[in-house]
Amino acid sequence: MLDIIVFGTISGSIILFAALGFSMILKTEGFINVGHGQMLMLGAYFGLLGNKMGLPIVLVGILAAILCGLVGMLIFVVFISPIKTKGILVCLFTSVGVSYLINGVTGAIAGKGVQAFDLPPVKAISISGYPIATPYEIMVIIFGIVAAFLVHAFFNYTLMGKSIRAVSDNQDLAKLRGYNPRKTSLQVWFLASALAGIAGVFTGLIGSVHLGMGWSMLPIILAATVFGGIGSIYGVMAAAFIVGIAMEIGILVLPANYRSAIAFGLIVIVMLIRPEGLKSIWDSVMLNYRKKES
Amino acid sequence: MEGTLLFLMNILTVGAIYAILCLALNFSAGIDGLWDLGLVSFFGIGAYTYVLLTAPEAASYQDYILGLNLPIWFGVIVAGLLAWVLALLVGLPALRLKREYFLITTLALSEVLRQIYSNELWLTNGVAGMYNIPPPFRNGDLSPTSASFFLFLLLIGISLLTLWLVRQLTTSSFGRSLKALRDNEDLAKTAGINPFTSHITSYSFAAFFCGLCGAFYTWYTTIIVPSMFTPDVTFFVWTALIIGGLGNTWGAYLGGFIFILIQEGLRFLPVYGEAATTFTSLRVALVGLILILILRIRPQGLIGERPLKTRSLTN
Repeated sequence: MLDIIVFGTISGSIILFAALGFSMILKTEGFINVGHGQMLMLGAYFGLLGNKMGLPIVLVGILAAILCGLVGMLIFVVFISPIKTKGILVCLFTSVGVSYLINGVTGAIAGKGVQAFDLPPVKAISISGYPIATPYEIMVIIFGIVAAFLVHAFFNYTLMGKSIRAVSDNQDLAKLRGYNPRKTSLQVWFLASALAGIAGVFTGLIGSVHLGMGWSMLPIILAATVFGGIGSIYGVMAAAFIVGIAMEIGILVLPANYRSAIAFGLIVIVMLIRPEGLKSIWDSVMLNYRKKES
Repeated sequence: MEGTLLFLMNILTVGAIYAILCLALNFSAGIDGLWDLGLVSFFGIGAYTYVLLTAPEAASYQDYILGLNLPIWFGVIVAGLLAWVLALLVGLPALRLKREYFLITTLALSEVLRQIYSNELWLTNGVAGMYNIPPPFRNGDLSPTSASFFLFLLLIGISLLTLWLVRQLTTSSFGRSLKALRDNEDLAKTAGINPFTSHITSYSFAAFFCGLCGAFYTWYTTIIVPSMFTPDVTFFVWTALIIGGLGNTWGAYLGGFIFILIQEGLRFLPVYGEAATTFTSLRVALVGLILILILRIRPQGLIGERPLKTRSLTN
């Protein structure tokens, strides 16, 4: 039972990092950024590089996040920004093209094989003789929870966060009020890609690094996004952990290879019951919360 | 010289399969405006149905169901029909969803199906796959080269037939009602067009052809493994369709061939050893770059959609 919660929280943290950025781009740019999975893969490979250079793992994570963020900004400036006005379909398939571009170039440089981080062996921390999790896994959980609070604070208490929210809610109105949508887009792409990069490093820490990892994470990201309600930050946060734990419960009855199938099952259930996802629930909760505040 | 010709013939054989896939996708996505990212689901179901129906019984070292040794034409038709049924089952709930959700559901479904092919050993022999699937015309009477030649002719023929059929449908009143729905759903509704029935008809029609293509594809590869059915197929067909021109039937048809010529033609470059692995990765990058450039420079594709020719009412 404890295993389920621990592992569910670990995958939940990773999904949180990956899905938050995806959801942010979906909300501000209005299209499904298929390339987001590849940012996760890129983060893992940057992490691998740093790890091979012998840098401490926390520094590796930070560097990978920054590098991914910069790549994300570059993608926006070079590929997305010029075609933004041409419609969702063009944006979507440009991001598919970007996916293949990143994946191909990474494969050409890093090689096709499955690789792993070179980490000093650690003993699992145990409670009364029962092994719970390795320090790396605990680190992932702590980062995940801290990140959730940081993102909440960022969107509610910083000017940058507020401008992102304003632009994603209503671009014209935000422009009128003096926000710069282009600047905001750049910030969103940096932040979203950096978060995906961290998710990639985490995945590498507890598993392995390979070229297909971005693609295999994509259905899970989509599941969390739909489950949380498209564009809802808080919905996605909750959904990440629900999807993570649901996958761990699911593989008690199904083979472990069906993790993303379980995530997909969740999508179907949510769609049938409540097509707008958890968003409606979360929005009403937040609305009441705001009312009480004021 | 003969090697070159054989190579070109093989490319055009796959090109014909891609052309049919493009025609099918163009009908559901280009004419009807359903953004289906799960095309490979139907392609895969068709391929597995065909192989399981026509293969001999599983050998002792293998594990798969059926293996009924049925005639290949029967297998091909059931492959299409099963894909059609799957499309109805998926479409019934999914087509009621909003566009983004439809996209996500279809993409995720195709991934789940691939996982099923990989994990259910009893059904498909898992990741080990199945080998030596006999293509038509390879019954010993013909040399392998002429067998390939007949397969090439057959698939080109089928692709032309599909082209004709899709053209007829596109210009029919049904095709025009789909375009009306795509361009202005509210107006189309007031003209008495039922969106849901129209969508599910075009979606399952496209799926039927994707199922057929799945069967045809196993003729070409003669093997079937789950990794043949990644979302890459979906994205590649979309890329081919975008290159050719979304919404234009001729564009879709040619797009399939052009895409395969670009992708497979690159195999022709002499690269060996270490460089070869790097090169296969760069090929993936190149596909991405072509897609980006086409969307940037010519988003309507090589042959864009043309407005319907209508007779003026005043004449």
